[in-house]
Amino acid sequence: MPNVSMDVLVARSEPVSVRRGVTARSRSQIVWGRTQLLSWLVPALLVVGWELLARLGEIPPYILPAPTKVVATGIALIQDGTLLPDIGISLLRAAAGFAIGGFIGFALGTAVGFSRLAGVLLDRTILMLRAIPFLAVLPLVIVWLGIGEGAKIFLVAFGVVFPIYMNTVLGMRQVDPKLLELGRVTGLSNWQLIRRIILPGAMPSILNGIRYALATAWLALVVAETIAASSGIGFLAMDAREFLRTDVIVLVIIIYAGIGVVADSLARQLERRLLAWHPNYATEARP
Amino acid sequence: MTQRQNVTPDGPAVVVHDLRRTYGLRTVIQNLDLRIDRGEFVVLLGESGCGKTTLLRALAGLDPIDGGRIDGPSRPAVVFQEHRLLPWNSLWRNVALGLEQNDNRARASAALAEVGLGDRLDDWPRNLSGGQAQRVALARALVQEPRLLLLDEPFAALDALTRVKMQSLVKELVAKHQPGVLLVTHDVDEAIVLGDRAVVMRNGAIACEFTVSAAARAHRSHADAIALRDRLLIELGVGEGQVAA
Repeated sequence: MPNVSMDVLVARSEPVSVRRGVTARSRSQIVWGRTQLLSWLVPALLVVGWELLARLGEIPPYILPAPTKVVATGIALIQDGTLLPDIGISLLRAAAGFAIGGFIGFALGTAVGFSRLAGVLLDRTILMLRAIPFLAVLPLVIVWLGIGEGAKIFLVAFGVVFPIYMNTVLGMRQVDPKLLELGRVTGLSNWQLIRRIILPGAMPSILNGIRYALATAWLALVVAETIAASSGIGFLAMDAREFLRTDVIVLVIIIYAGIGVVADSLARQLERRLLAWHPNYATEARP
Repeated sequence: MTQRQNVTPDGPAVVVHDLRRTYGLRTVIQNLDLRIDRGEFVVLLGESGCGKTTLLRALAGLDPIDGGRIDGPSRPAVVFQEHRLLPWNSLWRNVALGLEQNDNRARASAALAEVGLGDRLDDWPRNLSGGQAQRVALARALVQEPRLLLLDEPFAALDALTRVKMQSLVKELVAKHQPGVLLVTHDVDEAIVLGDRAVVMRNGAIACEFTVSAAARAHRSHADAIALRDRLLIELGVGEGQVAA
């Protein structure tokens, strides 16, 4: 069989296989570049089409303004000094809510994941609270905390607790029992067991929870700012609605989307750093 | 009386008195006595289910005991059949697991050098072959300078050539560090090559034991080695004429 002997030949003679490797790689890079380019074609066409239709008056500006108009509005709002402080305050709310909710979810998850007793005591209550769609508590939160910062931060934190909790517990329960046994044989204390074996083992799942929680946090913020706020970009959009400023509304939607994308890519970088040991996330070992 | 306690520094590595271990209604170990001196290499043989792994787990402090007593270190070192390296730690951190001094890296480095991996301190476990990983596990056990070293079929998952190399490495390092060793295995030849003493377990107790002569240990074709092999196989119920075709 000629094919088989060819393969053997290639595998044995190093120069041939090296050369083949190089050309194959550069070829795959070109293909990759082309695919990248191609994948941007449809979004680019949509934007161009949107621009054209708006300019030709097919879409009235109060329904949907042209993309260039949205950009111009963005620049104007930055220049008159209203946009950036609003973005800043929205980010601050998201960060504060995420930190509080993340800490609570992680602490509860670690307790329940490690201790059977904590699991028996807490798990049912937490799962009952989780059954509440977190946006449904908004009216109650407004009654409790008004439309101040507390309400927004509470809602974000409430949305973040559960994904972090669930994934922490899940990750800790999935840690290889043989490694736990090794930890016990080696004489690790409970704290060392958690730090050296359980948390690193649970990390892929925890990071998954963080990425999911980022999305919930963002959703919570959008809703809270839209319904009950006097500052922030959600408020900016609702204020613009009063004056039919669709350009501002579209701008806010795009900013929300952009920040969401950035947050997710930050989480992915965190994943690559913390999971460098994991074959699925290793960058160095990729061919 | 059920108890474990530490023995004096100069005494034997471990002494087991009248040990009993049950799982529910089933008694897995009963009336078992065993003494291992420091520097002594004891190989424990037995059919599957005879209780030899249970004995090792009891000695390791992994399972409670239901009767008798174990006088030995509260924390012996164990090498398992699987390497059980932490995939998220570099090799030296794996070896240093459980060390409490400040010079952890230096000590782990010395231990890795002993098993021939002194140049791989910062590598990940996933880049190791099965034999290399098992060598790291051995380094992790020996870095503790254990009084008692428990080996639970540590060569079983290795290919034949790697196994032979690992056996001589273990032999060399045990001679150097002088822990008392209990090796659990199915392999009669392994018992003769490594052991000072070969102990056969049956139905949860020690059935018989043999001293391995230096000549048998050194040459697998020596008359002593052949005689001991035949005898051990008979004790394990797989000697010539014992197994129906």
